[in-house]
Amino acid sequence: MLPAMNNPHEDPAALKALQDDIYREKILRARKQTPAERLADVFELTNVVFARMHAGAMWQLGIEDPDKGWQIVHQRLNRLQKLHDRGRFVHQKPGPNA
Amino acid sequence: MTVEALAAIVITACEAEGVDHMLTGAFATGLYGIPRSTKDVDVVLSVAVGDPFSKVVSRLADVADFDGQVQFDTLTWGKRIVGVSKAPPPLKVELFELFDDPFVQSQFFRKVRMFSEQLQRSAWLPTPEDVVVQKLRWGRNKDLDDARDVLAVQGPETLDMAYIETWCRTHGTEDRLRTALEGIPPLE
Repeated sequence: MLPAMNNPHEDPAALKALQDDIYREKILRARKQTPAERLADVFELTNVVFARMHAGAMWQLGIEDPDKGWQIVHQRLNRLQKLHDRGRFVHQKPGPNA
Repeated sequence: MTVEALAAIVITACEAEGVDHMLTGAFATGLYGIPRSTKDVDVVLSVAVGDPFSKVVSRLADVADFDGQVQFDTLTWGKRIVGVSKAPPPLKVELFELFDDPFVQSQFFRKVRMFSEQLQRSAWLPTPEDVVVQKLRWGRNKDLDDARDVLAVQGPETLDMAYIETWCRTHGTEDRLRTALEGIPPLE
């Protein structure tokens, strides 16, 4: 039987230490890479994430047509973008007296 | 289409039109910080050749559908135009016009060139210091995380912190810089 573990969510200091450990590991891993390797990771992560979003949408909605799946991904990304860019971009620049 | 294939097409379009340009966004952040996925290919375009949006957008007509309307960033009033790739996945292409802002001009002037095997060409990208300043200026949660990541991975001791601090003073983002630095855990 495994020993009982403390739940870090009940201890702010333990939770912070856990978060720092995870972040430290990410930083040290990135430091071991060359800039070109990190850029290559951006490409790979992006391609994998899109493929998973597509597969997830098709599975969730029971879609068999890949094109329909991409339409759903597109709709979801547009919704996210609107949220992230809310109030950030406008179609008209205000005049000098605005 | 892969994101690197789309990025290579956009770079080729800029070069074909003689539009001086620089990749930005997640490509720049990932180059210096912790790589993450992105939804778009972000490129800053010089206005030296006149109306770079029209030139590059027309070159990309077979590849992406662009929103006909230019948008203005309410923080800096810089212009952008957004397109979506015609072939899946629905990657966005965001073109930003280089405009008359001292930092934006400085960032573009200081850009560096690096070769990417995946792009099969060299690309212009901002310096790490300029990525930090830009991200702190934009200030969304994701941007602040990106700035901290670049500071953490590069290490403040390797960066021109005087340059970063000068621009942060100009932009009033010194508190954000301090918070980002404090957010880096001990690495030993």
